[in-house]
Amino acid sequence: MRTTKQKSHNTGLRVGGLFLIGLGFAVVLVVGQKTDNPALAPPPVVTPAEKAAVQSFENEVKEYVKLRNRVREQAPKLSKDATPEQIHAYQKTLEESTRAARKNARRGDVFKPEVADYIRRTLKTEFQGKDRKDIRDIVFETELQGVVLRVNYPYAQSAELSEMPATLLTKLPQLPKEVRYRFVGRNMLLVDRESNVIIDYMPEALP
Amino acid sequence: MRRSRINFFLIAFIVVSFLSPAPAQKLNNNAAKTAPAASPVKLTLPLKEGSLRFAVMGDTGSGTQKQRDVGEMMVKYRAAFPFEFVLMMGDNLYGGETPRDFETKFSEPYKKLLDDNVKFYATLGNHDLPLQVNYTNFNMNGKEYYRFKKGNVAFYSLNSNYMDKKQVDWFVSELAKDTSEWKVCFFHHPPYSSAKKHGSDNQLREVVEPIFVKYGVDVVLTGHDHVYERIKPQKGIYYFVSGAGGQLRSGDVKASSPLTEKAYDRDMHFMLFEVAGDQMYFQTISRTGETIDSGMIVRRKK
Repeated sequence: MRTTKQKSHNTGLRVGGLFLIGLGFAVVLVVGQKTDNPALAPPPVVTPAEKAAVQSFENEVKEYVKLRNRVREQAPKLSKDATPEQIHAYQKTLEESTRAARKNARRGDVFKPEVADYIRRTLKTEFQGKDRKDIRDIVFETELQGVVLRVNYPYAQSAELSEMPATLLTKLPQLPKEVRYRFVGRNMLLVDRESNVIIDYMPEALP
Repeated sequence: MRRSRINFFLIAFIVVSFLSPAPAQKLNNNAAKTAPAASPVKLTLPLKEGSLRFAVMGDTGSGTQKQRDVGEMMVKYRAAFPFEFVLMMGDNLYGGETPRDFETKFSEPYKKLLDDNVKFYATLGNHDLPLQVNYTNFNMNGKEYYRFKKGNVAFYSLNSNYMDKKQVDWFVSELAKDTSEWKVCFFHHPPYSSAKKHGSDNQLREVVEPIFVKYGVDVVLTGHDHVYERIKPQKGIYYFVSGAGGQLRSGDVKASSPLTEKAYDRDMHFMLFEVAGDQMYFQTISRTGETIDSGMIVRRKK
């Protein structure tokens, strides 16, 4: 004979079990919703060494973001309803203060050789095959005459920005919102989203 | 004596009248120095009571006289078709973004519209720096991708320069809860285009098209190719390329493209839209005021 306490305990277990099953379904649905597009499939499994290289790269990027956010806090705030003058002044301040704060920055500080090798391999895989011709077309169609690449200096304001192929972005190490990948010819850049400063770049990243 | 004096003045008046151009002709001659002869405003849109009215223009920011001509023509058409806002398809400022560039490439060409409180909603093109999202007159509210709603229409501005996972996740989650009758997306790079210079962005299409289909997007507006093109509906979705609001690539549309429903690459243009219930009307107008395309889209049952 079951007591009332036992009954309520069992009912509680059943409810809890149903809740967990429901939660499980919800997780499956959410995950399914975000990965059912093959174009957005995550990158293939990486080796422990590659994983370590990517982790180190992500840490370097985080360090940069911390630094630029400190610099940003000291700059005058930019409103969402800014005038062109305010935008221009903000961008200049951010650019100059970032440069001063990382005056010893050199090419390869963020794209260290290990992660650079990993990214080159990833890009090579993505650029292979006839169906990947589109990626090459997108990247190489941009007119980039006279664009000078220099760490800590902005990407030329008057120059066109090449579109980052959407399917490629999902295969590269993910970046925080403050930082962007860019291609300039075969070079791959890491650029600050707001100041447009080149944080680092990899020459001959593309096959 | 008196009669001969009257005759003299009459003859003098007639001679002067023949030799001098009429005031209207003078006006046209002056106008011809800055703009080509313009067609009169001919509206094909129904102007239904309570309808939502907006304009579309792309690849505008050249700062040229022709961009200004398009702006002037938009003002003329607005007198007949009072649109509330304008969607910009990106490349809002070419070749530099100093405060002066914002003036010559945006606020001066559209001064009359801005003065009349017409709102502009921008998206970023491959010539635009991300800080444009903070510019007050682009109404992007500091965001590279955003949604706003007018009447029964939800508008999604996407950043096709950088379609990363964060943006895709945001887009999917917004669409999943969107109960608006119409869903219109606008961004710079065209998933479908018959232009020779850029053409269809297959990479972008691979990512966004399944989302459009799954969540019932009705209309997609883009630019990038400096032409006008209305694409044959693809998987039930209407795609437009409107990338010649300030730049033109004359003769760029492939003549026998199977994608094309209607194309125009001889002059710059802008578009007008009117949404009334389940019907969306559109009219495409050249820089000189000629109607180059028009039609109606009926909302799909979802």
